[in-house]
Amino acid sequence: MEQSESERSESRPWQRPRKMNVGPAERKASLAGGAALALSGLRNLSRRNYASGLAMIAAGGMFLYRGQTGYCGLYDAMGVDTMHTQPGGLRIEKAVTIGLPPDEVYEFWRNLENLPRFMKHLEAVEVTGPRTSHWKATGPGGISAEWDAEMMEDTPGQQISWHSVGEADIPNKGSVEFKEAPGNRGTEVRVTIDYYPPGGAAGKAAAKIAHGINAQQLEEDLKRLKQILEVGEETTARRTAD
Amino acid sequence: MRAVCWHGRHDVRVDEVADPQILSKNDAIVKVALTCICGSDLHLYNGYVPTMKKGDILGHEFVGEIVEVGSRVTRFHVGDRVIVPFPISCGACWYCKHELWSLCDNSNPNAWMLEHMYGDTGGGIFGYSHLYGGFAGGQAEYVRVPFADVGLERIPSGVPYEQVVLLTDILPTGYQAAYYCNINPGDTVAVWGCGPVGLMAMMSARHLGAERVIGIDRFPDRLQAARAQCQAEVLNYEEVDVAEALQNMTGGRGPDSCIDAVGMEAVGTGFEGVYDSVKQALRLETDRASALRQLAKACRKGGTLSIVGVYAGFVDKFPMGALFAKGLTLRCGQAHVHKYLPHLVKLVAEQQLNPSSIITHRLPLQEAPMGYKMFLNKQDACIKIVLDPQAGATGTERAPQGEGA
Ligand SMILES: [Zn+2]
Ligand SMILES: [Zn+2]
Repeated sequence: MEQSESERSESRPWQRPRKMNVGPAERKASLAGGAALALSGLRNLSRRNYASGLAMIAAGGMFLYRGQTGYCGLYDAMGVDTMHTQPGGLRIEKAVTIGLPPDEVYEFWRNLENLPRFMKHLEAVEVTGPRTSHWKATGPGGISAEWDAEMMEDTPGQQISWHSVGEADIPNKGSVEFKEAPGNRGTEVRVTIDYYPPGGAAGKAAAKIAHGINAQQLEEDLKRLKQILEVGEETTARRTAD
Repeated sequence: MRAVCWHGRHDVRVDEVADPQILSKNDAIVKVALTCICGSDLHLYNGYVPTMKKGDILGHEFVGEIVEVGSRVTRFHVGDRVIVPFPISCGACWYCKHELWSLCDNSNPNAWMLEHMYGDTGGGIFGYSHLYGGFAGGQAEYVRVPFADVGLERIPSGVPYEQVVLLTDILPTGYQAAYYCNINPGDTVAVWGCGPVGLMAMMSARHLGAERVIGIDRFPDRLQAARAQCQAEVLNYEEVDVAEALQNMTGGRGPDSCIDAVGMEAVGTGFEGVYDSVKQALRLETDRASALRQLAKACRKGGTLSIVGVYAGFVDKFPMGALFAKGLTLRCGQAHVHKYLPHLVKLVAEQQLNPSSIITHRLPLQEAPMGYKMFLNKQDACIKIVLDPQAGATGTERAPQGEGA
């Protein structure tokens, strides 16, 4: 990881310099929010709600820490990077290794209408032209968002990238790379998505959806993709159909 | 159907629930003939494993008969009698293909939870919390078994269910523990914990050629079982300093391999024991590690620590110095049951191993709540309880006793 000048100047002699992934505006908010989280975590603990209490204190501490240092362990764990995207944007990056050759994984993805089979927030992707498609997503509470997307790069067996066009509810861009994994392990699939949650009251509903599309969701999506490709279907622990 | 459901700490009940259904073409529905209460079920019972929900069906050790199969199941048919390994494995991922079955990439729909806790995922397990997938367990009349072709193992005709029910977990677990010790002629293997898994580990160590096995526990019934079932020498850790006793028994060398069949609820003695209990109660330390510390101290230089007891979180004061100074090897993890099953089924069918000799109690499913209590408190010389979901009547029945058990 390359180091910027500011990272070096912020590092302490007793502390290894760390990468920064929290943008400046967010750092201020983090300091305030962190204290609140840690406090409510303590309150939970006193109600013997250990697991969530500890998690909240940990998260609270993390917010305080990232406010001070510009590094967020939670963001790191979530794969979110708000420093290297445009202002207001949210970058999510995740990778998975799938035991099939890059061509086959690419083929499955390139058929965009397959995406809702493993991306839980997507309701439908409709191919509208050789390089264009229409996307429909749903979020918490049944709110939905739609946008048109255009493919920018399409290198068979290697990479697909796209960005939203026109009046998108949630402007976004992304890319997926397919790379042969070493030792016959199959394909390394790396997905990078940048979201730009809209501001103002009108954008609130859409922002909620963007909030739901976090790195954990992407991670679960990729695990489902792996299941579908390696096993032939999504694994379920359910016992009955309803 | 009836099923043993978790309702909270020290609260399990036999509830009436809907029958399971085939949900995937790879599924089989197994009618449970026998199922066990396992030592690791006690971790759930004691409330030490997070992500349990009210109504979760318990049990990961069960055998039975197939009553329905999905359309993609080819190796098995309705009427087949089968052993069901406790780990759920897809058979298609890199880990399954490399015989690391319990580390399967695809069988745990909640894999991300484990990933956040441990840094990587583990496969699903029947009836073992939502961390391990949230699959319904086998302490029930029927179970949905995913990846039937991959997981199930046929029971040879003529071999009764009793003789193979312990092959679902504790025998392969004990076997893997002994297998990990790389036993050479003349070796001494010490096993902490003479509960079911400890006994299976001793039995397996003997089978794999250990010259001596030494069982360590504090319950006289268990020490007696180790002597009788595994021809073990025994130590009561409440009566002797274990490390010193082991040194003296092995010419000052220490055992060649040490197996931890106790896990996170070890009962320590003295100040260390109090320290762990207090920290665990306050959730400052999740696992009590007194057994683990003794293992590291007692093992001979260059020896192996093989850990099969379940650990879930963090331990304090792990003797890293001893590990390093003595060049010890540490091996651990959930058993890759699928890997050992064919061999173990053969050994049991040929009566070279007799794991069922440790079964002390057989109860109707209805009596499960009493069984959990009895097993937890080690009452009535209880070592291993088998539940029979098909037995309608209530009342306990002592299993026929092996010599001296
Ligand atoms: Zn078990
Ligand atoms: Zn697998």
